[in-house]
Amino acid sequence: MDNVIEGIALCVERGKISKQSPFPPDMKDQDGADEIAADAIKQGVKPDDLLDGCILGMNRIGEKFSQNKVFVPELLMAAKAMTAVMNHLQPFLESGEVKHKGKFVIGTVSGDLHDIGKNLASMTIKGHGFDVIDLGVDVPVDKFMQTIADNPGCFVGLSALLTTTMGNMEKSVKAIKEKYPDTKVLIGGAPVNQNFCDKIGADFYAADPQGATEYLKQNV
Amino acid sequence: MPIDGLKIIGESINDSVPSTHQLYNENKMYDIVALAKFQDERGAAYIDVNIGSRPASFMADLVRRIQQVTTKPLSIDTPDMEIAAAGLEAYDMTHSGGQKPILNSISLSRLEMFDLYKQQPFIPILLITEGLDKNKYSIMNSTAQETYSTAKDFVRVAFELIPEFSNDQCILDPGIMPIGGDMEGYFKRLMDSLQLIHDDPDLQGVNMSVGLSNFTVMLPSKRADGSPVKGPLESAFLTLAIPLGLNMVIGTVKRKYQLLDDDHPALQCLKDILQLNGIEVITRVMQFYS
Ligand code: B12
Repeated sequence: MDNVIEGIALCVERGKISKQSPFPPDMKDQDGADEIAADAIKQGVKPDDLLDGCILGMNRIGEKFSQNKVFVPELLMAAKAMTAVMNHLQPFLESGEVKHKGKFVIGTVSGDLHDIGKNLASMTIKGHGFDVIDLGVDVPVDKFMQTIADNPGCFVGLSALLTTTMGNMEKSVKAIKEKYPDTKVLIGGAPVNQNFCDKIGADFYAADPQGATEYLKQNV
Repeated sequence: MPIDGLKIIGESINDSVPSTHQLYNENKMYDIVALAKFQDERGAAYIDVNIGSRPASFMADLVRRIQQVTTKPLSIDTPDMEIAAAGLEAYDMTHSGGQKPILNSISLSRLEMFDLYKQQPFIPILLITEGLDKNKYSIMNSTAQETYSTAKDFVRVAFELIPEFSNDQCILDPGIMPIGGDMEGYFKRLMDSLQLIHDDPDLQGVNMSVGLSNFTVMLPSKRADGSPVKGPLESAFLTLAIPLGLNMVIGTVKRKYQLLDDDHPALQCLKDILQLNGIEVITRVMQFYS
């Protein structure tokens, strides 16, 4: 059902949540992500196709974001439209009819309360079909360790926005790698870079959520 | 025209500004000091100095160098006690016509920073974004009432800890959030906090400041018609906040902040946002720049 995939991808990319949402103006009164997903399911479209539509839409908007063609507000709208689709997918994910691509544990490191970037990463990765466990902000190392123990095979994403909490990021990565050397750890946040990633022994530095999804795609 | 009575703490010398970060890394002290001179000439009331996590001795050296080129007082910007001590110790009031430096910033969980007052008197920026919970653990305020009550507690503490303290000897910073991601009503909460502080007779005369550039991070620089996005939105914010007692900003001397007319689209946008919630705020911001 290519037109369903494309319809959903378009709504996600453009941030068209539902028919009644006024944004974007040029899609006024058209069906949004919510209606298209609901109809598709009623008509027996494979739930997996809905997920593919989300992935396609999130990829397109993510790429534009990486190229500075759109900004955080557009990304938030896309995430909102994607959530509208995900709500229809939830029962199928719960029943196992649609499989998650993997598990992703994410949180902002201890001492740090910034979460806008972390939330964007979390939403984008969810839109790529991952089961995302978001531990929130100011997450102590122990909590990461426990969650990894409870979710074998998960990927882990850490966020830090303060130079003063980059040290806690380092501690978290080292603790995780020591006990779970096979667990892939991704890091992100404005002050973090590739050098720092190499220095602390994390597996991947993502400048933006799109970078993280590329990495995940190649490593699941 | 600069806005009458609005003091700008020039923000350029900050490790989180990428171009300055690079100057630091390349140890281009001459260029960093030139940023102080430039901001002074463009009308900054204070020059902020933030060195990130470099050694305290570096802060001392930089403060001395900057004071060679400007008589403007400095704002020593660090959460680190040792760096703050070094910066304040190096600061020479005779170079700034007897004006005290700002210490940016103290939170209720970092009260020991007041100890530095003995060594060099300063005007503290009191961060009122976070209070303390029952166990004296720092926690983010989540309502205007909480921010206001932190302000009251904090000013009371300052009176206890600083000899000859008066309200006008401190700056309250209620925190500002990027409007382009504000689905939680932070902007409305900030305006309410300013109002509560402004209306309190015990807090008359306090200074209030925010890191203004943070308001417009994450937004494009131009609207669809090519006109700027950030300057007008920041000016719109000032137009609403100055009547509520905001009288300082950590900001850039490059922007021409101004008070906007009521029908200015940026001001209309912020006024609308005060009535909106959640994702509607985001769509209203996008409507402004699309
Ligand atoms: C919003 C904000 C706040 C809000 C946070 C609210 C919230 N819910 O997040 C509030 C007001 C509470 C706040 C508080 C503080 N802040 Co603040 N804050 C900011 C601000 C303005 C924006 C940050 C942001 O959201 N950016 C937008 C997002 C989308 O970008 P991002 O986080 O980098 O995320 C992107 C990527 O990095 C990536 N990403 C991020 N994380 C992850 C994780 C993974 C796994 C992946 C894959 C990707 C990824 O994806 C995102 C999209 O591309 C910045 C200024 C700035 N110019 O950035 C300051 C800033 C980060 N804050 C700063 C400071 C100092 C503070 C305070 C200490 C006090 C103060 N003076 O304000 C407190 C600290 C509180 C604490 N303990 O954490 C400094 C940090 C300086 C430094 N380098 O250490 C900054 C840079 C401001 C400045 N110029 O001084 N802040």
